[in-house]
Amino acid sequence: MSTKIAIAISISLALAAALVTAGAGCSRESEAAATIRQLGSTTLLPLAEQWREAFNHEYPNVEIAVSGGGSGTGIKALLAGGAEIANSSRPMKDEERAQAQAAGVSPVEYVVAHDGLAVIVHPANPLDELSVEQIAAIFAGEVNNWNELGGPDSEIVIINRDSSSGTWQAFKDLVLKSREYAVEALAMPANQAVLDSVSRYQGTIGYVGLGYLNESVKTLNVIPPGGGVAVEPTVANVQRGTYPISRALYCYTDGEPSGELGDYIQWIKGPGGQAIVAELGYVPVPE
Amino acid sequence: MTRRTMRVREWLIERIIHLAGILAIAFVVLIFAFLLRDALPVFRQNSVGDLLAGRYWRPTSTPASFGMLPLLLGSVYVTLGALIISLPLGLACAVFISEVAPTRVREPLKSLVELLAAIPSVVYGFLGLLMVGPWLANVLHLPIGQFAALGSLLLAFMAIPTIVSVSEDAIRAVPQALRHNSLALGATRWQTIVKVVVPAARSGIIAASLLGLGRAIGETMTVLMVTGNAAVIPQAFAGFLRPVRTMTATIAAEMGETAYQTPHYHALFTVGLILFLITFATNSIADVVVRRAGGVNAQ
Repeated sequence: MSTKIAIAISISLALAAALVTAGAGCSRESEAAATIRQLGSTTLLPLAEQWREAFNHEYPNVEIAVSGGGSGTGIKALLAGGAEIANSSRPMKDEERAQAQAAGVSPVEYVVAHDGLAVIVHPANPLDELSVEQIAAIFAGEVNNWNELGGPDSEIVIINRDSSSGTWQAFKDLVLKSREYAVEALAMPANQAVLDSVSRYQGTIGYVGLGYLNESVKTLNVIPPGGGVAVEPTVANVQRGTYPISRALYCYTDGEPSGELGDYIQWIKGPGGQAIVAELGYVPVPE
Repeated sequence: MTRRTMRVREWLIERIIHLAGILAIAFVVLIFAFLLRDALPVFRQNSVGDLLAGRYWRPTSTPASFGMLPLLLGSVYVTLGALIISLPLGLACAVFISEVAPTRVREPLKSLVELLAAIPSVVYGFLGLLMVGPWLANVLHLPIGQFAALGSLLLAFMAIPTIVSVSEDAIRAVPQALRHNSLALGATRWQTIVKVVVPAARSGIIAASLLGLGRAIGETMTVLMVTGNAAVIPQAFAGFLRPVRTMTATIAAEMGETAYQTPHYHALFTVGLILFLITFATNSIADVVVRRAGGVNAQ
């Protein structure tokens, strides 16, 4: 009996010792490594997580902590010294720049990706273009039949994304603005599910990130708010900023970044970071 | 082995079985307690009426609204439809297996029906989404092949094994003397089944339907895939041919992307709590019905 107890005690002592040394090792390491805290826009969250992972393959000693919270939260954290990088899906507002000046922070802006959403319909749909206002009216449920838009007499079926998706939020911000989506809209869990439904059923309309587009659906050219010529949803038009349902995605740092932070920003803007941008269905920034 | 060690052993085994029984109850109580703990905070900002009777489920809009009426009705439509399809089919199947089929056919048929329960729900969803849905949309001239009745149809096939095996047990428990008396009085076999055997097995059949209902209302993957998930309040009969969103699908679709301890998070737990209460109630009623009749338990 006593030998068993002795063994048990020595095992627990060894375990405790191992834990203590491991813990000490951990804290020493994190002090030595640079910590980059990157937070803000939830649209940028999946991108930032993949960036961190890929960047850490090349630079294993840089510790990056990524979190969401929204664009405003990220910028506030940057001004308060709670973040090294603020992710934002909109440019910084004037009042935020004023606050930055008051706080002694000089924000530097980087466009790290573009978010472009193509409006898609069934290939048999005769329409070629719609205005942003018409698209908003469709998704808000105010227009219910294609014949109100010069199409055939058939019901419009709205293929929406799930309300938890960043694409859902982006399309709402860019097209519907303060209006709500129609309750009749079907909610799809992924871009691929939207493509499947739209390519299969004739009366449907949906939207996907430009990077997900394929030949199974027809894209609509979009007339900007206030009129003008319809713009085709292409990578070049999104990069140029002429396609209306698109926006730039930003990272902000306090002053010109140096050291590991600078390496990270350069890497994001370089081929490594931009490959991930394309992979996730966003539009890369030109070199 | 001495008498004493045997007694100690006996005592130990008894305790272990006792503990297992208590644990099963403890788990249910704990699940309920944790659901309640994470659901209650939502009532700080929203009244019970706003939640249960609210017409709009817009959890990520500003301001957010957590009206659960569309989700409740969505679940009711899909489940009700599933019962309308599965009850007659399941009952007829049970009657055939226990009263009509020759013994040679009986056992293979029973195993085949039970095999339906072994098919994963995601497979039903896949079949519905890619084959049955597009086909039905084409035949019924629907604008889209994702709607409430499609969910009902698939759920019906998932509930049939439960309904068949429980009501078959109940029918088989009907005393042989009743059948003999009925036939001796000149009733045909059909009359005996419809007027004597099925009414005598009534409580077991009711229990079977309630268990089938519990199975259908809690099903998630299939409905998430085939019902379209539009949080709309279904309108009358046409509502069956339109997309709906059920409570289970809402939890499955949104929980993964919901920030911890936000109103949305608590609202989803409230949906879970309502589901738990509904299934708990149907199972309890089924239990009471069965026990009162001594039907299935008599087996």
